[in-house]
Amino acid sequence: MLGGCAGEQSALDPAGRGAEQIAALFWWMLGGAVVIWCIVVGLAIYAIRIAPGPHDDRQMRLWVIGGGAVIPTLVLTVLLIYGLSMLPGLVRAAPEGSLQVDVVGLQWWWQVRYPASESVKLANEIRIPVGEPVQFNLTSADVIHSFWIPALGGKVDMVPGRETRLTLEPTRTGRFRGVCAEYCGASHALMAFDVVVMERAAFDEWLAAQQEPAKEPQGPLEVRGREVFLRRGCGACHAVRGTRADGVIGPDLTHVGGRASLGAGTLENSPDAFRKWIAHTSRTKPAVRMPDFDMIPEADMRALAAYLESLQ
Amino acid sequence: MSPTSEQRLPEREESLWMLTVSPTIWAGHFLASYVTAAVWCAKVQDSSSSLWPARIAIAIYTVTALIGIVVTGWIGLQRARVEPDAVQDFQDTPLGRHRFLGFATLLLSVLSGVATLFVAAVILFMETCE
Amino acid sequence: MSARDDNPTRDDAAPSPERQREQEERLLAAWKTPTGWRYWSAVNNSEVGMWYTAASCLFFLFGGILALLMRVQLAVPGNDFLTADRYNQIFTMHGSVMMFLFAVPIFEAFSIMVLPEMLGARDLPFPRLSAYGFYSFVIGGIFVCGSVFFDAAPKGGWFMYPPLTTSYQPGIGADIWLLGLSFIEVASIAAAVELIVGVLKCRPPGMRIHLIPLYSWYILVVAGMILFAFPPLIAGDILLEMERAFDWPFFDPSRGGDPVLWQHLFWIFGHPEVYIVFLPSVALMAMIVPTFARTPIVGYSWVVLAAVGTGFLSFGLWVHHMFTVGLPGVTIGLFSAASQAVAIPTGVQLFCFLATLLAGRVINSVPIMFTFAGLATFIIGGLTGVMVAVAPFDFQAHDTYFVVGHLHYVLVGGTIFPIVAGAYYYFPLITGKKLSDRLGRIAFWLLLIGFNITFLPMHWTGLTGMPRRVFTYPANAGYDLLNMVSTVGAFLLAAGFVVVVWDIVRPKGNQPYSERNPWNAGTLEWLAEMPDRPWGIRSIPIIESRYPLWDQSDFARDVDEGRFYLPDAEEGLRETLVTSVIDARPMQCLRVPGPTFLTFWSAAFTGGMFIFATYHWWWPAILSGLAALATILRWLWTGTAWIPEKDEKDVGLGVTLPIYVSGPQAVGWWAMFITMLADMTAFIALVFGYFFYWTIHEDFPPEPYPGPGALWPSCGAVLLMSAWGLTVFAKRWNRDARAGAFYAAATSAVVACLAGGAALVQGPLAAGLDPTTHVYPAIVWVLIGWTALHVALGILMLLYCMARRFAGKMTARHDADITNVTLYWHFLALTVVITVGVIVGFPLVA
Repeated sequence: MLGGCAGEQSALDPAGRGAEQIAALFWWMLGGAVVIWCIVVGLAIYAIRIAPGPHDDRQMRLWVIGGGAVIPTLVLTVLLIYGLSMLPGLVRAAPEGSLQVDVVGLQWWWQVRYPASESVKLANEIRIPVGEPVQFNLTSADVIHSFWIPALGGKVDMVPGRETRLTLEPTRTGRFRGVCAEYCGASHALMAFDVVVMERAAFDEWLAAQQEPAKEPQGPLEVRGREVFLRRGCGACHAVRGTRADGVIGPDLTHVGGRASLGAGTLENSPDAFRKWIAHTSRTKPAVRMPDFDMIPEADMRALAAYLESLQ
Repeated sequence: MSPTSEQRLPEREESLWMLTVSPTIWAGHFLASYVTAAVWCAKVQDSSSSLWPARIAIAIYTVTALIGIVVTGWIGLQRARVEPDAVQDFQDTPLGRHRFLGFATLLLSVLSGVATLFVAAVILFMETCE
Repeated sequence: MSARDDNPTRDDAAPSPERQREQEERLLAAWKTPTGWRYWSAVNNSEVGMWYTAASCLFFLFGGILALLMRVQLAVPGNDFLTADRYNQIFTMHGSVMMFLFAVPIFEAFSIMVLPEMLGARDLPFPRLSAYGFYSFVIGGIFVCGSVFFDAAPKGGWFMYPPLTTSYQPGIGADIWLLGLSFIEVASIAAAVELIVGVLKCRPPGMRIHLIPLYSWYILVVAGMILFAFPPLIAGDILLEMERAFDWPFFDPSRGGDPVLWQHLFWIFGHPEVYIVFLPSVALMAMIVPTFARTPIVGYSWVVLAAVGTGFLSFGLWVHHMFTVGLPGVTIGLFSAASQAVAIPTGVQLFCFLATLLAGRVINSVPIMFTFAGLATFIIGGLTGVMVAVAPFDFQAHDTYFVVGHLHYVLVGGTIFPIVAGAYYYFPLITGKKLSDRLGRIAFWLLLIGFNITFLPMHWTGLTGMPRRVFTYPANAGYDLLNMVSTVGAFLLAAGFVVVVWDIVRPKGNQPYSERNPWNAGTLEWLAEMPDRPWGIRSIPIIESRYPLWDQSDFARDVDEGRFYLPDAEEGLRETLVTSVIDARPMQCLRVPGPTFLTFWSAAFTGGMFIFATYHWWWPAILSGLAALATILRWLWTGTAWIPEKDEKDVGLGVTLPIYVSGPQAVGWWAMFITMLADMTAFIALVFGYFFYWTIHEDFPPEPYPGPGALWPSCGAVLLMSAWGLTVFAKRWNRDARAGAFYAAATSAVVACLAGGAALVQGPLAAGLDPTTHVYPAIVWVLIGWTALHVALGILMLLYCMARRFAGKMTARHDADITNVTLYWHFLALTVVITVGVIVGFPLVA
């Protein structure tokens, strides 16, 4: 059964402080619920099948109604105290000086910024250091989305016109998955993101690498790929720092090759995935804003995929 | 000649609204607490600012509400216990109806009191507007 | 001496057999169900209730099929059985159909059918209103469901959050949802009016308030909840449609709006809604359990506590659907506390049922089996409900399949299983024949097992990360098997429903009629003969106990022989008794109208207005609306406030009662009062919107916008308040038989209304407030528009009264029309004061 709980997207396999507290709360509540259910249903079965005979009216009144009103009130009071005492810690902002990550939800991808490192603009993947509180500042550019990394903690909605906030503190390293948890249109089901929790040192290294402009293409295929990229107008929507592509409508692609997935968690990253995505976006993700580029000839497509893959 | 039970407990002095008094007090308390907290936090600029004024206000609302609920419940209790020698409470008499309305008022007052305390408990735990 | 010293007892001598036969013939003639195609003009609660129930069940099956389609799509990851767009339409429709076209209508339908029987009444007090509600419901429902077949269904979820539904879904689906469902919501409010008046004022004499069947208590509470829960949604619907159709930016943050306002308005409706759905089913359990435990309910007062307490507390929970929106922790805490508190009264009533089962000697039967299934299932749902009430847990569980599991446990356990129990229990009452015990047991096992296989895994599915409202999910995320299991279970569940449906529709020609009172129950509805006669009840009895069939000797014989009230229909008219609220003393002999097609046409034209408006075909919509108005006026003219041929009538047992009553004792006055409570609630919801925007803006009214000015709105207010005063005088002068003064006052009132309405509108117009530029002008215009519309209705009502007086249908003594209109005007005056106070006064203090 415990194996069934595990997973990179499971709230019952916690890897963050919030998720751990909530999971503990859940197990206690589940235990209590099972006990209560058994007692009540047991009483009902007893009444219907096992002891079908008239019982003393007054006694019944006292026991069952008193038990039906008094005991639930006591149990609920305990639960209320447990829940309320946990609440401030979960909604509190991260302490001064904590890492800040700004995330903007759009139909159907995630724009990620690390404000402390100005030029770092990412999409669909978030990396954070282990063992420290991180504050996510959330908003939406279009409809209501919701930012949820079940393994780390609860979710907070991304509402256009408001900035909301979620504090998470990972407690172990690993790779996790986050999803959008508020119905946001046709491809809501395909709006996910990867989360990588790393040791602080590794994180700092990664962040520094992200600040670098795009790597120069090494082989002839990749060079051709860059040329295809620029010629086909991809730069109108996508930015690749270090080239003249500087569009902001779509995800930033400066280091797209290093991401675990494409299309906001829809396809696992590989050159094939790039080809599939670019040629048939709408088949992969219904109603997506990026048009299908199935007119690109096969050879060019291979080059393009190789180039994007090389943007580590 | 002793008055009939109908004359002692006339219908026109009974009211079904009596049952709703305590729950309405609970609702008023809840609304006042929510509006106070929400407007305070909306109009105060910094989300880490203190909730003290709102908490004090809610404490006052709670005391006021509980007084109202206890008084109502007390009235209900008195009505439910009128003429204790008479037998069952669903007897088809004005007395039966009078006691029922009183007892139901009492039960609803107890529930409203507990629910008010539940809601008020929040001020023991929340300190800021976050 | 018996305590019933104020009430007569039954006739000691029965009328002779010939006289009884004559009485029965006259009753049958008065209450005859029309035949042939005229059958559809019936307004009697038995017919309307049956149609309503059948229509609700058909919508349920439609919603169920939609669910099966969803489960097929989700059986395996990456499935392409349905496209994303189709799936999104289907899940939206599944929720909307189940909640709006089944869950609320079924209880209304059932109550219309059975409540009068439970209360010894011949019919509900406003039979034509029920018929109108039914036809509105069917027309609206077919319109909304039909959209699925044209790939035009709404696809914003049953809760339709903006800005997705305002700015990102330009098709017609959202409009269909908004307009189609608004129509149906109005029908629900009509039913609420009917049921409140029915429970409080149309009882058998002697059925004091503490003797009424528990079902009636629940219905009273639920009808009251409808009055305060549905209007905020109607207000929200208005705002949403105004944004979609006219670009008034209520939910557009770039122009000062806020999507969170919709969430508040929707959930202020949405949470009480689920209790509105759940409580009537619990009410069925409250009737079934004592019958099969063969003992009176234990803890009657406690059940009343539970019903009333749950009804009130449920209004304080709505933000628990918004725990993750980013509201302050203190707000979250308040609603979390209240959400946990509501479990107390919810549990109390279940324990009363348990105590009753324990106190009695339970007979096993299909109804009790389904009641037990309902109990066991609902308790799981209630326990997971307490879990999600604890806000920290909800941060994880919100918008995941855990909630889908929870909601189906409470809805199926708390609503569907008791409805099936009720179907098996009450079927003989409706048709005279029992359903099959064998099929019932088969259905029981299929439903219980199928349901749990479908929904129990979903708690797990949600916590292992699957969010809601997804048309597919990735393979190997941890919930592949769970989804497949749920799908298999869904088909088992469906099979169970197929068995129930078969049991209901199978031909029963060869099956003999059931014996009278087949379950040996104690409450009044089981006086019905098998098959039932159209008169509802042979004579209206005097009640001395909660279970008259058990406790009162020779009860059925006495009713059948006409030894009680109204055993006859001497004038050939449909009559029932109106009684006092607390002690049910007879107060009036109420004559209710008979069959008509007016209600059908009113509903059709009203529906036409909404449907044409959906397509932006404005002229047909206006014409249809005018036709609706005309038909409704004709209905009022011919069907209400009849001046009787005599003032009083002998209703039996030496009691004479008035036939015509006006003022606060009259059922029509009550109907107006109750309707206006709902109307004011919608208005207050709009005012809430105004203040909500104030809380989210630093500067409100925002700098560049002048208010609507003080002069014009104040003039408008003064003029309208004079109109109000003139109306009050008109009523008084009518009473005083001063015809000239009456007409003068009423006419002046109409003129004052026209001037006042124009002045009100001139305020924002002169100030140049353009509602498409910012939410501030938009909300001011909405408040003005609402008030102006009500002023227009006020004018219409005054003209109607003048016409009635002129035609001799309203006199000094028979003044129900002007009395009810004056009541309307009291509420309208309040509306004017609040509107002007807010839009003129608030900018001065802010």
